[in-house]
Amino acid sequence: MFECEARIVAHAHHAGDQHILRLEAPSIAEHALPGQFVHVRVSDCHLLRRPVSIMLADAEKGTVDLLYKVVGEGTRVLAACQVGQQLSVLGPIGRPFDLGDAGSRYVLIGGGVGIPPMIFAAVRLVGFADCVLFAGSEVAFPFALRPSTMLLPGVQGNAILSIASLEDRGIPCRLASNAGLYGCFEGHVPELARQYLMALDEAERSRCVLLACGPHPMLHAVARLGRELDLPAFLSLEEFMACGVGGCAGCVVKTLEEGREHYRRVCVDGPVFPANMLPEFA
Amino acid sequence: MTVTDIDLSVEFAGLRLQTPIVLLSGCVGFGDEYTRVDGYSHEHVGAVILKGTTLEPRLGNPPHRIYETPAGMLNAIGLQNPGARHVVEHILPRLPHDKTHFWANANGTSPEEYAEVARIFDDSPVTAIEINISCPNVKAGGIHFGNDPEMAARVVEAMRPMTSKPLITKLSPNNADIAETARLVIEAGSDGLSVINTLVGMAVDVDKRIPVIANVSGGLSGPAIKPVALWKLHQCRAIAARHGIPILGQGGICSPRDAIEFAITGADAIGLGTGLFLDPLLCPKVLDGLRTYLERHGLGSYAELVGSLAS
Repeated sequence: MFECEARIVAHAHHAGDQHILRLEAPSIAEHALPGQFVHVRVSDCHLLRRPVSIMLADAEKGTVDLLYKVVGEGTRVLAACQVGQQLSVLGPIGRPFDLGDAGSRYVLIGGGVGIPPMIFAAVRLVGFADCVLFAGSEVAFPFALRPSTMLLPGVQGNAILSIASLEDRGIPCRLASNAGLYGCFEGHVPELARQYLMALDEAERSRCVLLACGPHPMLHAVARLGRELDLPAFLSLEEFMACGVGGCAGCVVKTLEEGREHYRRVCVDGPVFPANMLPEFA
Repeated sequence: MTVTDIDLSVEFAGLRLQTPIVLLSGCVGFGDEYTRVDGYSHEHVGAVILKGTTLEPRLGNPPHRIYETPAGMLNAIGLQNPGARHVVEHILPRLPHDKTHFWANANGTSPEEYAEVARIFDDSPVTAIEINISCPNVKAGGIHFGNDPEMAARVVEAMRPMTSKPLITKLSPNNADIAETARLVIEAGSDGLSVINTLVGMAVDVDKRIPVIANVSGGLSGPAIKPVALWKLHQCRAIAARHGIPILGQGGICSPRDAIEFAITGADAIGLGTGLFLDPLLCPKVLDGLRTYLERHGLGSYAELVGSLAS
Protein backbone atom coordinates (compact mmCIF):
# COMPACT_ATOMS: atom_id res chain seq x y z
CA MET A 1 0.00 0.00 0.00
CA PHE A 2 1.01 3.59 -0.60
CA GLU A 3 0.84 6.74 1.46
CA CYS A 4 0.45 9.80 -0.72
CA GLU A 5 -0.67 13.41 -0.75
CA ALA A 6 -3.64 13.13 -3.05
CA ARG A 7 -5.04 16.24 -4.74
CA ILE A 8 -8.83 16.58 -4.81
CA VAL A 9 -9.72 16.92 -8.49
CA ALA A 10 -13.50 16.82 -8.05
CA HIS A 11 -15.86 16.86 -5.10
CA ALA A 12 -19.57 16.56 -5.89
CA HIS A 13 -22.22 17.00 -3.22
CA HIS A 14 -25.50 15.12 -3.35
CA ALA A 15 -28.75 14.78 -1.46
CA GLY A 16 -28.71 13.11 1.93
CA ASP A 17 -25.22 14.43 2.74
CA GLN A 18 -23.64 12.03 0.23
CA HIS A 19 -20.45 13.16 -1.48
CA ILE A 20 -18.31 11.84 -4.31
CA LEU A 21 -14.63 12.66 -4.07
CA ARG A 22 -12.18 12.19 -6.93
CA LEU A 23 -8.55 12.04 -5.81
CA GLU A 24 -5.37 12.11 -7.85
CA ALA A 25 -3.46 9.14 -6.43
CA PRO A 26 -1.75 7.29 -9.29
CA SER A 27 -0.06 4.54 -7.28
CA ILE A 28 -3.29 3.71 -5.46
CA ALA A 29 -5.32 3.88 -8.67
CA GLU A 30 -2.93 1.49 -10.38
CA HIS A 31 -3.16 -1.19 -7.68
CA ALA A 32 -6.72 -0.85 -6.34
CA LEU A 33 -9.08 -3.81 -6.55
CA PRO A 34 -12.82 -4.01 -5.86
CA GLY A 35 -13.53 -4.38 -2.15
CA GLN A 36 -10.43 -2.50 -1.08
CA PHE A 37 -10.50 0.86 0.65
CA VAL A 38 -8.35 3.89 1.33
CA HIS A 39 -7.61 5.38 4.74
CA VAL A 40 -8.02 9.15 4.54
CA ARG A 41 -6.56 11.69 6.91
CA VAL A 42 -9.33 14.29 7.00
CA SER A 43 -7.48 17.02 8.93
CA ASP A 44 -4.58 17.66 11.24
CA CYS A 45 -7.07 17.95 14.10
CA HIS A 46 -8.38 14.40 13.81
CA LEU A 47 -6.04 11.75 15.07
CA LEU A 48 -7.37 8.79 13.16
CA ARG A 49 -7.80 8.34 9.44
CA ARG A 50 -11.22 7.44 7.99
CA PRO A 51 -11.62 4.24 5.95
CA VAL A 52 -13.56 4.84 2.72
CA SER A 53 -14.20 2.14 0.14
CA ILE A 54 -13.07 2.67 -3.42
CA MET A 55 -15.85 3.18 -5.99
CA LEU A 56 -13.70 3.41 -9.09
CA ALA A 57 -10.01 3.45 -9.90
CA ASP A 58 -8.74 4.76 -13.20
CA ALA A 59 -5.15 3.65 -13.64
CA GLU A 60 -4.70 5.71 -16.82
CA LYS A 61 -5.86 8.97 -15.28
CA GLY A 62 -4.38 8.07 -11.90
CA THR A 63 -7.59 8.82 -10.03
CA VAL A 64 -9.74 7.06 -7.47
CA ASP A 65 -13.39 7.90 -6.77
CA LEU A 66 -14.85 7.61 -3.29
CA LEU A 67 -18.48 7.89 -2.24
CA TYR A 68 -19.10 8.68 1.39
CA LYS A 69 -21.88 9.95 3.57
CA VAL A 70 -21.47 12.36 6.46
CA VAL A 71 -21.93 10.22 9.56
CA GLY A 72 -19.79 12.07 12.09
CA GLU A 73 -17.26 14.77 12.69
CA GLY A 74 -14.53 13.31 10.46
CA THR A 75 -16.72 12.91 7.39
CA ARG A 76 -18.18 16.40 8.02
CA VAL A 77 -14.65 17.83 7.83
CA LEU A 78 -14.01 15.77 4.70
CA ALA A 79 -17.19 17.12 3.07
CA ALA A 80 -15.89 20.68 3.51
CA CYS A 81 -12.65 19.95 1.63
CA GLN A 82 -12.26 21.87 -1.62
CA VAL A 83 -11.05 20.93 -5.08
CA GLY A 84 -7.30 21.55 -5.27
CA GLN A 85 -6.73 20.67 -1.60
CA GLN A 86 -4.49 17.73 -0.77
CA LEU A 87 -5.32 14.86 1.55
CA SER A 88 -2.99 12.23 2.94
CA VAL A 89 -4.36 8.93 1.69
CA LEU A 90 -3.16 5.43 2.50
CA GLY A 91 -4.13 2.56 0.26
CA PRO A 92 -5.24 0.42 -1.36
CA ILE A 93 -5.95 -1.64 1.75
CA GLY A 94 -7.55 -5.01 2.40
CA ARG A 95 -8.40 -8.28 0.77
CA PRO A 96 -10.59 -7.58 -2.26
CA PHE A 97 -13.59 -9.53 -3.48
CA ASP A 98 -12.62 -12.73 -5.24
CA LEU A 99 -13.84 -12.11 -8.80
CA GLY A 100 -11.71 -14.80 -10.35
CA ASP A 101 -14.22 -17.32 -11.66
CA ALA A 102 -15.32 -16.55 -15.22
CA GLY A 103 -17.99 -19.24 -14.92
CA SER A 104 -19.79 -17.55 -12.02
CA ARG A 105 -22.59 -15.04 -12.18
CA TYR A 106 -21.80 -12.38 -9.59
CA VAL A 107 -24.83 -10.88 -7.90
CA LEU A 108 -23.68 -7.58 -6.39
CA ILE A 109 -25.83 -6.15 -3.62
CA GLY A 110 -25.02 -2.73 -2.19
CA GLY A 111 -26.84 -0.57 0.32
CA GLY A 112 -26.17 3.14 0.84
CA VAL A 113 -22.46 3.82 1.13
CA GLY A 114 -22.01 0.08 0.55
CA ILE A 115 -22.85 0.63 -3.12
CA PRO A 116 -19.36 1.91 -4.19
CA PRO A 117 -17.40 -1.37 -3.98
CA MET A 118 -20.22 -3.05 -5.93
CA ILE A 119 -19.86 -0.51 -8.73
CA PHE A 120 -16.11 -1.10 -8.79
CA ALA A 121 -16.64 -4.87 -8.91
CA ALA A 122 -19.21 -4.59 -11.70
CA VAL A 123 -16.93 -2.42 -13.83
CA ARG A 124 -14.02 -4.84 -13.39
CA LEU A 125 -16.20 -7.83 -14.28
CA VAL A 126 -17.21 -6.44 -17.69
CA GLY A 127 -16.03 -8.81 -20.39
CA PHE A 128 -14.87 -11.42 -17.88
CA ALA A 129 -17.88 -12.81 -16.05
CA ASP A 130 -21.62 -12.23 -15.82
CA CYS A 131 -22.82 -9.88 -13.15
CA VAL A 132 -25.87 -7.97 -12.04
CA LEU A 133 -26.00 -5.13 -9.55
CA PHE A 134 -28.77 -4.30 -7.09
CA ALA A 135 -28.46 -1.10 -5.12
CA GLY A 136 -30.62 0.14 -2.27
CA SER A 137 -30.93 3.57 -0.71
CA GLU A 138 -33.30 5.49 1.49
CA VAL A 139 -32.15 8.83 0.09
CA ALA A 140 -31.85 9.90 -3.56
CA PHE A 141 -29.11 7.94 -5.34
CA PRO A 142 -26.04 10.13 -5.94
CA PHE A 143 -25.77 8.96 -9.56
CA ALA A 144 -27.34 9.80 -12.90
CA LEU A 145 -30.17 7.30 -13.38
CA ARG A 146 -32.13 6.25 -16.42
CA PRO A 147 -34.65 3.58 -17.41
CA SER A 148 -32.90 0.32 -18.14
CA THR A 149 -33.09 -1.30 -21.56
CA MET A 150 -31.79 -4.59 -20.17
CA LEU A 151 -34.42 -7.08 -19.09
CA LEU A 152 -33.88 -8.87 -15.81
CA PRO A 153 -35.90 -11.94 -14.87
CA GLY A 154 -38.06 -11.60 -11.78
CA VAL A 155 -37.82 -7.84 -11.60
CA GLN A 156 -41.30 -6.38 -11.86
CA GLY A 157 -43.40 -3.30 -11.52
CA ASN A 158 -41.78 -0.01 -10.70
CA ALA A 159 -38.17 -1.15 -10.77
CA ILE A 160 -37.23 0.38 -14.09
CA LEU A 161 -34.30 2.67 -13.29
CA SER A 162 -30.62 1.79 -13.53
CA ILE A 163 -27.39 3.66 -12.84
CA ALA A 164 -26.59 5.30 -16.17
CA SER A 165 -22.83 4.69 -16.06
CA LEU A 166 -23.45 0.97 -15.55
CA GLU A 167 -26.12 0.86 -18.25
CA ASP A 168 -23.55 2.44 -20.62
CA ARG A 169 -21.14 -0.39 -19.87
CA GLY A 170 -23.79 -3.04 -20.42
CA ILE A 171 -24.06 -3.96 -16.74
CA PRO A 172 -27.59 -4.86 -15.70
CA CYS A 173 -28.66 -2.96 -12.58
CA ARG A 174 -31.83 -2.19 -10.62
CA LEU A 175 -32.55 -0.08 -7.58
CA ALA A 176 -34.55 -0.56 -4.40
CA SER A 177 -35.83 1.87 -1.81
CA ASN A 178 -38.32 2.08 1.02
CA ALA A 179 -38.52 5.83 0.60
CA GLY A 180 -40.86 5.80 -2.39
CA LEU A 181 -38.14 6.83 -4.84
CA TYR A 182 -39.39 6.85 -8.42
CA GLY A 183 -38.42 3.90 -10.58
CA CYS A 184 -37.18 1.78 -7.69
CA PHE A 185 -38.39 -1.52 -6.28
CA GLU A 186 -40.35 -0.75 -3.12
CA GLY A 187 -38.63 -2.70 -0.38
CA HIS A 188 -35.22 -3.77 0.80
CA VAL A 189 -32.53 -4.48 -1.77
CA PRO A 190 -31.93 -8.14 -0.72
CA GLU A 191 -35.63 -8.79 -1.47
CA LEU A 192 -35.13 -7.42 -4.99
CA ALA A 193 -32.09 -9.68 -5.41
CA ARG A 194 -34.12 -12.60 -4.10
CA GLN A 195 -36.89 -12.06 -6.69
CA TYR A 196 -34.26 -12.07 -9.41
CA LEU A 197 -32.57 -15.22 -8.13
CA MET A 198 -35.88 -17.07 -7.74
CA ALA A 199 -36.74 -16.30 -11.36
CA LEU A 200 -33.57 -17.96 -12.65
CA ASP A 201 -33.66 -21.60 -13.60
CA GLU A 202 -31.88 -24.01 -11.28
CA ALA A 203 -28.72 -24.31 -13.42
CA GLU A 204 -28.37 -20.57 -13.82
CA ARG A 205 -29.04 -19.87 -10.14
CA SER A 206 -26.49 -22.43 -8.97
CA ARG A 207 -23.62 -20.50 -10.57
CA CYS A 208 -24.50 -17.30 -8.70
CA VAL A 209 -22.19 -15.81 -6.08
CA LEU A 210 -23.53 -13.12 -3.74
CA LEU A 211 -21.29 -10.16 -2.91
CA ALA A 212 -22.61 -7.54 -0.53
CA CYS A 213 -21.69 -4.35 1.23
CA GLY A 214 -24.03 -2.20 3.27
CA PRO A 215 -25.73 -1.80 6.62
CA HIS A 216 -25.82 -4.79 8.96
CA PRO A 217 -29.54 -5.63 8.52
CA MET A 218 -28.91 -5.79 4.76
CA LEU A 219 -25.87 -8.05 5.26
CA HIS A 220 -27.93 -10.31 7.53
CA ALA A 221 -30.58 -10.60 4.81
CA VAL A 222 -27.95 -11.40 2.16
CA ALA A 223 -26.38 -14.05 4.40
CA ARG A 224 -29.85 -15.59 4.91
CA LEU A 225 -30.46 -15.49 1.17
CA GLY A 226 -27.19 -17.33 0.57
CA ARG A 227 -28.15 -20.02 3.05
CA GLU A 228 -31.69 -20.34 1.72
CA LEU A 229 -30.54 -20.79 -1.88
CA ASP A 230 -27.31 -22.58 -1.01
CA LEU A 231 -25.18 -19.91 -2.68
CA PRO A 232 -21.82 -18.61 -1.52
CA ALA A 233 -22.06 -15.13 0.00
CA PHE A 234 -19.25 -12.71 0.73
CA LEU A 235 -19.76 -9.67 2.93
CA SER A 236 -17.67 -6.53 3.14
CA LEU A 237 -17.58 -5.23 6.72
CA GLU A 238 -16.87 -2.01 8.57
CA GLU A 239 -15.54 -1.41 12.07
CA PHE A 240 -13.92 1.46 13.93
CA MET A 241 -10.37 1.46 12.62
CA ALA A 242 -7.06 2.92 13.74
CA CYS A 243 -3.89 1.94 11.86
CA GLY A 244 -5.34 0.33 8.73
CA VAL A 245 -2.23 -1.80 8.22
CA GLY A 246 -2.89 -4.67 10.63
CA GLY A 247 -0.73 -3.30 13.42
CA CYS A 248 -3.21 -2.53 16.19
CA ALA A 249 -5.91 -5.23 15.93
CA GLY A 250 -8.48 -2.57 16.79
CA CYS A 251 -10.94 -3.24 13.95
CA VAL A 252 -11.81 -6.87 14.52
CA VAL A 253 -14.75 -9.13 13.71
CA LYS A 254 -15.37 -12.54 15.27
CA THR A 255 -14.89 -15.50 12.93
CA LEU A 256 -15.45 -19.22 13.33
CA GLU A 257 -12.79 -21.31 11.60
CA GLU A 258 -12.63 -25.09 11.95
CA GLY A 259 -14.78 -24.85 15.05
CA ARG A 260 -12.59 -22.25 16.75
CA GLU A 261 -13.34 -18.61 17.40
CA HIS A 262 -10.94 -15.92 16.29
CA TYR A 263 -10.98 -12.16 16.00
CA ARG A 264 -9.82 -11.17 12.52
CA ARG A 265 -8.77 -7.67 11.51
CA VAL A 266 -11.26 -6.00 9.19
CA CYS A 267 -8.46 -3.89 7.64
CA VAL A 268 -6.08 -6.55 6.35
CA ASP A 269 -7.77 -9.92 6.98
CA GLY A 270 -10.94 -8.38 5.45
CA PRO A 271 -12.85 -6.24 4.79
CA VAL A 272 -14.39 -9.03 2.70
CA PHE A 273 -15.24 -12.25 4.55
CA PRO A 274 -17.24 -15.33 3.54
CA ALA A 275 -20.60 -15.03 5.31
CA ASN A 276 -20.34 -18.59 6.62
CA MET A 277 -17.20 -17.64 8.53
CA LEU A 278 -19.00 -14.94 10.53
CA PRO A 279 -21.03 -16.15 13.54
CA GLU A 280 -22.75 -12.77 13.71
CA PHE A 281 -24.38 -13.49 10.36
CA ALA A 282 -25.07 -17.19 10.94
CA MET B 1 29.50 19.17 10.99
CA THR B 2 26.71 18.31 8.54
CA VAL B 3 23.53 16.44 9.14
CA THR B 4 25.05 13.34 7.59
CA ASP B 5 27.75 13.19 10.27
CA ILE B 6 25.29 13.15 13.13
CA ASP B 7 25.19 9.92 15.08
CA LEU B 8 21.64 8.82 15.79
CA SER B 9 22.58 5.40 17.09
CA VAL B 10 22.07 4.84 20.80
CA GLU B 11 23.15 2.43 23.48
CA PHE B 12 20.15 1.00 25.32
CA ALA B 13 20.43 -1.62 28.07
CA GLY B 14 23.62 -2.94 26.55
CA LEU B 15 22.22 -3.03 23.02
CA ARG B 16 23.33 -0.87 20.12
CA LEU B 17 20.24 0.57 18.39
CA GLN B 18 20.78 2.02 14.90
CA THR B 19 18.34 4.85 15.65
CA PRO B 20 16.63 6.00 18.85
CA ILE B 21 13.19 5.15 17.45
CA VAL B 22 11.42 2.15 18.94
CA LEU B 23 8.07 1.03 17.53
CA LEU B 24 5.75 0.30 20.41
CA SER B 25 4.02 -2.86 21.43
CA GLY B 26 0.40 -3.10 20.37
CA CYS B 27 0.81 -0.71 17.46
CA VAL B 28 2.85 -2.80 15.04
CA GLY B 29 1.42 -6.30 15.37
CA PHE B 30 4.04 -9.02 15.45
CA GLY B 31 6.72 -6.96 13.81
CA ASP B 32 6.20 -6.97 10.07
CA GLU B 33 2.79 -5.35 9.55
CA TYR B 34 4.17 -1.96 8.50
CA THR B 35 6.26 -3.55 5.76
CA ARG B 36 2.98 -3.48 3.81
CA VAL B 37 3.48 0.28 3.44
CA ASP B 38 5.65 1.33 0.51
CA GLY B 39 8.62 3.30 1.87
CA TYR B 40 8.59 1.77 5.35
CA SER B 41 11.96 0.36 6.39
CA HIS B 42 13.04 -1.49 9.52
CA GLU B 43 16.37 0.29 9.05
CA HIS B 44 14.77 3.52 10.28
CA VAL B 45 14.06 1.99 13.67
CA GLY B 46 16.23 0.86 16.53
CA ALA B 47 13.82 -1.79 17.73
CA VAL B 48 10.32 -3.11 17.14
CA ILE B 49 8.40 -4.34 20.17
CA LEU B 50 6.05 -7.18 19.36
CA LYS B 51 2.45 -7.34 20.44
CA GLY B 52 1.78 -8.20 24.08
CA THR B 53 2.17 -11.93 24.60
CA THR B 54 0.86 -14.23 27.32
CA LEU B 55 1.71 -17.82 28.11
CA GLU B 56 -1.46 -19.21 26.54
CA PRO B 57 -3.31 -17.88 23.46
CA ARG B 58 -5.86 -15.14 24.08
CA LEU B 59 -8.88 -14.32 21.94
CA GLY B 60 -8.92 -10.65 22.97
CA ASN B 61 -11.87 -8.35 23.62
CA PRO B 62 -14.99 -8.06 21.48
CA PRO B 63 -15.42 -4.90 19.36
CA HIS B 64 -15.59 -1.97 19.64
CA ARG B 65 -11.98 -2.06 20.71
CA ILE B 66 -10.98 1.46 19.73
CA TYR B 67 -12.48 4.94 19.63
CA GLU B 68 -11.15 8.34 18.65
CA THR B 69 -11.14 10.98 21.38
CA PRO B 70 -9.99 14.61 21.30
CA ALA B 71 -6.29 14.45 20.37
CA GLY B 72 -6.16 10.79 21.22
CA MET B 73 -7.75 7.39 21.08
CA LEU B 74 -8.93 4.70 23.45
CA ASN B 75 -8.06 1.07 22.94
CA ALA B 76 -8.97 -2.14 24.70
CA ILE B 77 -7.64 -4.95 22.54
CA GLY B 78 -7.48 -7.45 25.39
CA LEU B 79 -4.07 -8.93 24.66
CA GLN B 80 -5.16 -10.90 21.61
CA ASN B 81 -2.16 -13.13 20.91
CA PRO B 82 -1.38 -16.72 19.95
CA GLY B 83 0.69 -17.50 23.06
CA ALA B 84 4.43 -17.24 23.69
CA ARG B 85 5.37 -20.65 22.26
CA HIS B 86 3.57 -19.94 18.99
CA VAL B 87 5.29 -16.55 18.72
CA VAL B 88 8.70 -18.13 19.25
CA GLU B 89 8.10 -21.11 16.96
CA HIS B 90 6.11 -19.56 14.12
CA ILE B 91 6.47 -15.77 14.11
CA LEU B 92 10.02 -14.95 15.20
CA PRO B 93 11.70 -17.19 12.59
CA ARG B 94 10.25 -15.14 9.74
CA LEU B 95 11.30 -11.71 11.03
CA PRO B 96 14.42 -10.04 9.57
CA HIS B 97 16.58 -9.97 12.72
CA ASP B 98 19.51 -8.58 10.74
CA LYS B 99 17.54 -5.38 9.96
CA THR B 100 16.64 -4.25 13.46
CA HIS B 101 16.08 -5.49 17.00
CA PHE B 102 12.82 -7.25 17.78
CA TRP B 103 11.78 -7.22 21.42
CA ALA B 104 9.08 -9.26 23.12
CA ASN B 105 6.39 -7.76 25.33
CA ALA B 106 5.60 -10.10 28.22
CA ASN B 107 2.27 -10.24 30.03
CA GLY B 108 0.71 -12.40 32.71
CA THR B 109 -1.87 -12.71 35.44
CA SER B 110 0.65 -13.92 38.03
CA PRO B 111 4.39 -13.49 38.58
CA GLU B 112 4.75 -17.18 37.69
CA GLU B 113 3.13 -16.65 34.27
CA TYR B 114 5.39 -13.67 33.56
CA ALA B 115 8.39 -15.81 34.53
CA GLU B 116 7.37 -18.60 32.19
CA VAL B 117 6.89 -16.16 29.31
CA ALA B 118 10.40 -14.80 30.02
CA ARG B 119 11.81 -18.33 30.00
CA ILE B 120 10.21 -19.06 26.62
CA PHE B 121 11.50 -15.84 25.06
CA ASP B 122 14.95 -16.35 26.55
CA ASP B 123 15.50 -19.09 24.01
CA SER B 124 14.58 -16.96 20.99
CA PRO B 125 16.06 -14.28 18.72
CA VAL B 126 14.42 -11.36 20.57
CA THR B 127 17.17 -9.22 22.05
CA ALA B 128 15.18 -7.81 24.98
CA ILE B 129 11.92 -8.36 26.81
CA GLU B 130 9.61 -5.52 27.73
CA ILE B 131 7.38 -6.22 30.73
CA ASN B 132 3.83 -4.94 30.59
CA ILE B 133 3.03 -4.66 34.27
CA SER B 134 -0.36 -3.07 33.51
CA CYS B 135 -2.07 -6.46 33.72
CA PRO B 136 -4.55 -7.51 36.42
CA ASN B 137 -3.16 -9.72 39.16
CA VAL B 138 -5.81 -12.40 39.47
CA LYS B 139 -4.64 -13.49 42.92
CA ALA B 140 -4.92 -9.93 44.20
CA GLY B 141 -8.49 -9.33 43.07
CA GLY B 142 -7.56 -7.95 39.68
CA ILE B 143 -5.46 -5.02 40.86
CA HIS B 144 -3.01 -4.13 38.12
CA PHE B 145 0.57 -5.09 38.99
CA GLY B 146 1.72 -1.71 37.77
CA ASN B 147 -0.51 0.20 40.16
CA ASP B 148 1.32 -1.19 43.17
CA PRO B 149 5.09 -0.66 43.28
CA GLU B 150 5.69 -3.80 45.39
CA MET B 151 3.66 -6.02 43.06
CA ALA B 152 5.43 -4.54 40.05
CA ALA B 153 8.78 -5.41 41.58
CA ARG B 154 7.65 -8.99 42.28
CA VAL B 155 6.96 -9.46 38.56
CA VAL B 156 10.50 -8.33 37.68
CA GLU B 157 11.99 -10.50 40.44
CA ALA B 158 10.15 -13.54 39.08
CA MET B 159 11.34 -12.94 35.53
CA ARG B 160 14.95 -11.97 36.29
CA PRO B 161 16.36 -15.48 36.87
CA MET B 162 14.62 -16.79 33.74
CA THR B 163 16.53 -14.77 31.19
CA SER B 164 19.85 -13.14 30.50
CA LYS B 165 18.23 -10.75 28.03
CA PRO B 166 17.62 -7.13 29.08
CA LEU B 167 14.31 -6.62 30.88
CA ILE B 168 12.56 -3.31 30.22
CA THR B 169 9.69 -2.51 32.56
CA LYS B 170 6.83 -0.49 31.08
CA LEU B 171 5.56 1.78 33.82
CA SER B 172 1.94 2.76 34.25
CA PRO B 173 0.98 6.40 34.76
CA ASN B 174 -2.09 5.19 36.64
CA ASN B 175 -0.40 4.86 40.02
CA ALA B 176 0.38 7.35 42.70
CA ASP B 177 4.17 7.26 42.64
CA ILE B 178 5.80 6.31 39.38
CA ALA B 179 9.30 7.18 40.64
CA GLU B 180 8.93 4.74 43.53
CA THR B 181 7.80 2.01 41.10
CA ALA B 182 10.80 2.86 38.92
CA ARG B 183 13.14 2.50 41.90
CA LEU B 184 11.70 -0.84 42.99
CA VAL B 185 11.70 -2.42 39.52
CA ILE B 186 15.28 -1.27 38.94
CA GLU B 187 16.32 -2.79 42.27
CA ALA B 188 14.48 -5.97 41.27
CA GLY B 189 16.65 -6.26 38.17
CA SER B 190 15.07 -4.20 35.43
CA ASP B 191 17.66 -3.08 32.85
CA GLY B 192 15.50 -0.37 31.32
CA LEU B 193 12.22 1.51 31.71
CA SER B 194 9.42 2.33 29.29
CA VAL B 195 7.65 5.51 30.34
CA ILE B 196 4.63 5.63 29.98
CA ASN B 197 1.92 3.11 29.24
CA THR B 198 -1.57 4.42 28.40
CA LEU B 199 -3.89 6.24 30.80
CA VAL B 200 -7.18 4.52 31.58
CA GLY B 201 -10.30 6.20 30.21
CA MET B 202 -13.74 5.63 28.73
CA ALA B 203 -16.22 7.08 26.25
CA VAL B 204 -20.02 6.95 26.11
CA ASP B 205 -22.35 6.29 23.18
CA VAL B 206 -25.08 8.82 23.92
CA ASP B 207 -27.59 7.27 21.51
CA LYS B 208 -27.40 3.80 22.99
CA ARG B 209 -26.33 4.98 26.47
CA ILE B 210 -23.60 2.38 26.64
CA PRO B 211 -19.82 2.58 26.85
CA VAL B 212 -18.38 2.82 23.32
CA ILE B 213 -15.58 0.39 24.19
CA ALA B 214 -16.96 -3.12 24.78
CA ASN B 215 -14.48 -3.55 27.63
CA VAL B 216 -15.94 -0.33 29.15
CA SER B 217 -12.50 1.17 29.84
CA GLY B 218 -9.59 1.52 27.46
CA GLY B 219 -6.09 2.89 27.32
CA LEU B 220 -5.84 6.50 26.21
CA SER B 221 -2.94 7.25 23.88
CA GLY B 222 -1.92 9.93 21.43
CA PRO B 223 -1.05 13.64 21.72
CA ALA B 224 -3.59 14.05 24.55
CA ILE B 225 -1.26 12.22 26.93
CA LYS B 226 2.02 13.81 25.84
CA PRO B 227 2.26 16.32 28.70
CA VAL B 228 1.53 13.56 31.21
CA ALA B 229 4.17 11.35 29.61
CA LEU B 230 6.79 14.09 29.71
CA TRP B 231 6.08 14.77 33.38
CA LYS B 232 6.27 11.07 34.30
CA LEU B 233 9.49 10.75 32.30
CA HIS B 234 10.86 13.75 34.19
CA GLN B 235 9.87 12.10 37.49
CA CYS B 236 11.63 8.85 36.58
CA ARG B 237 14.73 10.41 35.08
CA ALA B 238 16.66 11.07 38.29
CA ILE B 239 16.28 7.59 39.75
CA ALA B 240 17.04 5.94 36.40
CA ALA B 241 20.14 8.10 35.82
CA ARG B 242 21.39 7.33 39.33
CA HIS B 243 21.32 3.60 38.46
CA GLY B 244 22.55 4.06 34.87
CA ILE B 245 19.25 2.69 33.57
CA PRO B 246 17.98 3.93 30.18
CA ILE B 247 14.41 5.08 29.54
CA LEU B 248 12.30 4.51 26.47
CA GLY B 249 10.18 7.67 26.47
CA GLN B 250 6.77 7.45 24.88
CA GLY B 251 3.31 8.93 24.91
CA GLY B 252 1.82 10.87 22.01
CA ILE B 253 4.96 11.45 19.95
CA CYS B 254 3.74 12.51 16.50
CA SER B 255 6.45 14.83 15.19
CA PRO B 256 10.19 15.49 15.33
CA ARG B 257 9.51 18.27 17.83
CA ASP B 258 7.69 15.85 20.15
CA ALA B 259 10.65 13.46 19.94
CA ILE B 260 13.08 16.27 20.76
CA GLU B 261 11.04 17.21 23.85
CA PHE B 262 11.25 13.62 25.08
CA ALA B 263 14.98 13.45 24.37
CA ILE B 264 15.67 16.67 26.28
CA THR B 265 13.58 15.40 29.20
CA GLY B 266 15.61 12.22 29.34
CA ALA B 267 14.44 9.63 26.82
CA ASP B 268 17.41 7.48 25.80
CA ALA B 269 15.14 6.12 23.08
CA ILE B 270 11.80 7.36 21.79
CA GLY B 271 8.73 5.23 21.25
CA LEU B 272 6.33 5.72 18.35
CA GLY B 273 2.92 4.10 18.55
CA THR B 274 -0.30 5.98 17.93
CA GLY B 275 1.69 8.50 15.86
CA LEU B 276 2.12 5.79 13.23
CA PHE B 277 -1.65 5.67 12.79
CA LEU B 278 -1.58 9.29 11.60
CA ASP B 279 1.50 8.77 9.51
CA PRO B 280 2.80 5.28 8.76
CA LEU B 281 5.98 6.87 7.40
CA LEU B 282 6.63 8.95 10.53
CA CYS B 283 10.01 7.33 11.34
CA PRO B 284 12.17 8.90 8.59
CA LYS B 285 10.51 12.27 9.23
CA VAL B 286 11.41 12.11 12.91
CA LEU B 287 14.98 11.09 12.06
CA ASP B 288 15.34 13.97 9.57
CA GLY B 289 13.94 16.39 12.13
CA LEU B 290 16.32 15.12 14.79
CA ARG B 291 19.34 15.50 12.50
CA THR B 292 18.37 19.04 11.54
CA TYR B 293 17.81 20.03 15.17
CA LEU B 294 21.07 18.47 16.38
CA GLU B 295 23.05 20.18 13.63
CA ARG B 296 21.43 23.54 14.39
CA HIS B 297 22.36 23.16 18.05
CA GLY B 298 25.89 22.01 17.36
CA LEU B 299 25.37 18.53 18.77
CA GLY B 300 27.05 15.53 17.17
CA SER B 301 24.77 12.81 18.42
CA TYR B 302 21.34 12.04 19.78
CA ALA B 303 22.95 10.87 23.00
CA GLU B 304 24.27 14.39 23.67
CA LEU B 305 20.70 15.71 23.67
CA VAL B 306 19.33 13.14 26.12
CA GLY B 307 18.54 14.60 29.52
CA SER B 308 19.83 18.06 28.61
CA LEU B 309 16.87 19.77 30.27
CA ALA B 310 18.05 22.85 32.17
CA SER B 311 16.90 22.83 35.75
